[in-house]
Amino acid sequence: MLNLVLMAMIVALLIPLYQAWRDEDIWQTMLALASVSAKSAVMILLVSILRDDWMIGIVGVIILSVGNAGFMLLAHILKRMGDS
Amino acid sequence: MINLLSYFCLGVGLVFWFWGTVSLLSSRSVLFKLHHLSVSDTLGSIAIIFGLLLRRPTEFPLLLLAILSLVLWNTMLGYVLAYCSSSDSNDGGQIDG
Repeated sequence: MLNLVLMAMIVALLIPLYQAWRDEDIWQTMLALASVSAKSAVMILLVSILRDDWMIGIVGVIILSVGNAGFMLLAHILKRMGDS
Repeated sequence: MINLLSYFCLGVGLVFWFWGTVSLLSSRSVLFKLHHLSVSDTLGSIAIIFGLLLRRPTEFPLLLLAILSLVLWNTMLGYVLAYCSSSDSNDGGQIDG
């Protein structure tokens, strides 16, 4: 049953990937990729529960915090490039 | 009973995910999509992780850390993206104005 949930999550992950590929505007792409990062981190947590291996879970938590922090820095860089 | 509640939380999380993600495909503004996405990603992910927590109480600290970092970082990322993307379009406006 959890495998079905994982399949549904993969489908939910493909939509922002398609959006990131389709759209030219950098902020729409940033939006889609931020959604991809949050969803993939939660999927990693689900896989860690499925396999009962919490080392994989730690990777998911690290992605949740460091991944979003990296996105924030990238957003500020893009803003500075837009200003100059 | 716990399994049922866990599947219910996973289902609610998935519904939130699809609700926010489908609005991504529309041709609305960045801020409109950002609002939908940050609400759906944060709440949906928290519901999913809570569903996982019900299944595996032994990994309580790890999943609680995941929920905390979701609440903090996703919200902050939404604000930063809104600030950076809207100030970009404002500057453009002033130059043209």
